[in-house]
Amino acid sequence: MSSSLTLEQVTALLYKEADCLDRADLDAWIELYTDDGTYWMPVTPDQEDPLNHISLFYDDRTIMEVRRRNLRHPRAASKDLPIRSSHIIGNIKIVDEQADGVLSLSSNFHCAMFCDDTQTLYAGTYVHKLVTVDGQWRIQQKRVDLINCDSALGSILIYI
Amino acid sequence: MSVSEQQLDDWVQDTRAHKNVYIDQQVFKLEMQRIWGKSWIFIGHESQVAQPGEYFTLDFAGMPAVMVRDKENAIHVLHNRCGHKGSKLVSKPCGQGARFTCPYHGWTYKLDGKLVGVPHQKGYEGTGFDKSDPQFSMQRFRSESYRGFVFATLDSDMVSLSEWLGESAITIDNLCDRAPDGEVEVAGGVLKFDHACNWKLFTENLNDTMHPMVVHKSVVDAANEYIGTLAEDSPNKAEAEIIPPFGSSYEIYEESGITGFDYGHHYDGGKISIHSNYTVIPEYKEAMLKSYGEQRTDEILSYNSHNTLYYPSVTFKSAIQNIRVVRPISANRTVIETYSFRLKGAPDSMLQRTLLYSRLINSNGSMVGADDLAVYERVQRGLQSGASDWIEFHRNYGADQRNENRVTNVGTSDLDVRTQFRAWKHYMIGAPLSGAAGLSGTGSGETQ
Repeated sequence: MSSSLTLEQVTALLYKEADCLDRADLDAWIELYTDDGTYWMPVTPDQEDPLNHISLFYDDRTIMEVRRRNLRHPRAASKDLPIRSSHIIGNIKIVDEQADGVLSLSSNFHCAMFCDDTQTLYAGTYVHKLVTVDGQWRIQQKRVDLINCDSALGSILIYI
Repeated sequence: MSVSEQQLDDWVQDTRAHKNVYIDQQVFKLEMQRIWGKSWIFIGHESQVAQPGEYFTLDFAGMPAVMVRDKENAIHVLHNRCGHKGSKLVSKPCGQGARFTCPYHGWTYKLDGKLVGVPHQKGYEGTGFDKSDPQFSMQRFRSESYRGFVFATLDSDMVSLSEWLGESAITIDNLCDRAPDGEVEVAGGVLKFDHACNWKLFTENLNDTMHPMVVHKSVVDAANEYIGTLAEDSPNKAEAEIIPPFGSSYEIYEESGITGFDYGHHYDGGKISIHSNYTVIPEYKEAMLKSYGEQRTDEILSYNSHNTLYYPSVTFKSAIQNIRVVRPISANRTVIETYSFRLKGAPDSMLQRTLLYSRLINSNGSMVGADDLAVYERVQRGLQSGASDWIEFHRNYGADQRNENRVTNVGTSDLDVRTQFRAWKHYMIGAPLSGAAGLSGTGSGETQ
């Protein structure tokens, strides 16, 4: 389909975001989001509602700001040891571009995360909604659907 | 290793417990038989099976179980096991149907568990097999419900659910009374959180008010630092009401108090808790006043306990409208499930705040829950050390005040742990439930 961005451009944007997460650089990561941007990880497949249904994450700017400060705090027991992650993103598709300028992307991801001698593999689908702010493409919402979102998972220490 | 009755007696004392109580798989198996096999265990809420034929499956101390509403609207808790070859009958977490049919040989059961269909029955003629013999039906748990909350027990001699709850039922009452219509329903799904620790490390943390200012310092500092960057007239964010109170002072937690009951139940707070200063949503207050009038509304909203444990399987937050259910898997693994409730007759914004709380504090992505879990898992690993066999709970020992059916102490005391272990010894070795006697075993207190 035709859109304001090419597949190459949206791919570069997804890689840039994943790179921020792999470097655990939430200061740079948060700048990729609009002021009203949200990071959503539903707890059931096909979940429609983030407000009237529980989610694993539904962070607005406030929680993102708290989370990035919490990550660098010297006394967070769950984050004493370094958290390392490695993302692989594939099957990137431009889904549509709405008249209001919201561009939707879908992609598949594998994210290996390592902390405290344990490696965890997360896999699933991303849906990114992009908008332009002052001529720059920003993320208005990132939706992360884990294939095992409704199983008993451990702590998810950082954004996937 | 086998565990003797004497060891069980010795391993739990007035102010300390042996590490094997937390790490030994044999002790865990005995706990499943003697505590989880006798106590009233939380099953679910009636709203999860609102219509005839609806069912909800769960793990009952390692055993597959199913709660179901039959065509006559009666609720049953059944063993989720076929009477023929033992197959688990229902695999979906929840659903609706007219019968239970085994996927293996097609035996079918009515919703009350009665066996009604066995294919190609002629092969059983003259063999002594009798389809109407109850042993071939789905076996029933003894179950009772209190204001819609269903519990079950494997012990036919157990006292009634309401006697077992005793005065601690105040928190269940308060949760329901906070609904303008006087009823609640499960809403907004479930969170399942895998904990690599013994179930007691979770239950002992619920009223442990000496940990929040240490364990949750990082998230409280982060929240306060961010709130400090906002303009003074910026809108009142619910997040700002929820996170910072976890960093309350020792003095505030001390004042909040702990109240213990027979059978191991306890809560912290009552008049004040870290949930006391939430904004009352105006439309909600209006609906409450309409239902209850001013005096009763104030009474209901001023009851502020923090966590109320119904030992051993469920903890309630009435002021938040969520519960957490304990599902022990092994000595070092437990799954915690969080359910949120809609107050019937209240505006949607109340459920949305409950879900915001559950997400911020109890979800797998929570900055609060992750640090709690990190310290439980460190205890589980640290107890492997040979440095000592014991963990201690001396705080304010000797000052637990009994007044009829309640025992109280300051909020920073270890009364909660002592209350749980009193019930532990009752269920495990038949020690008295209440009375002046301490917990200390009759043995030397030393272990072999």
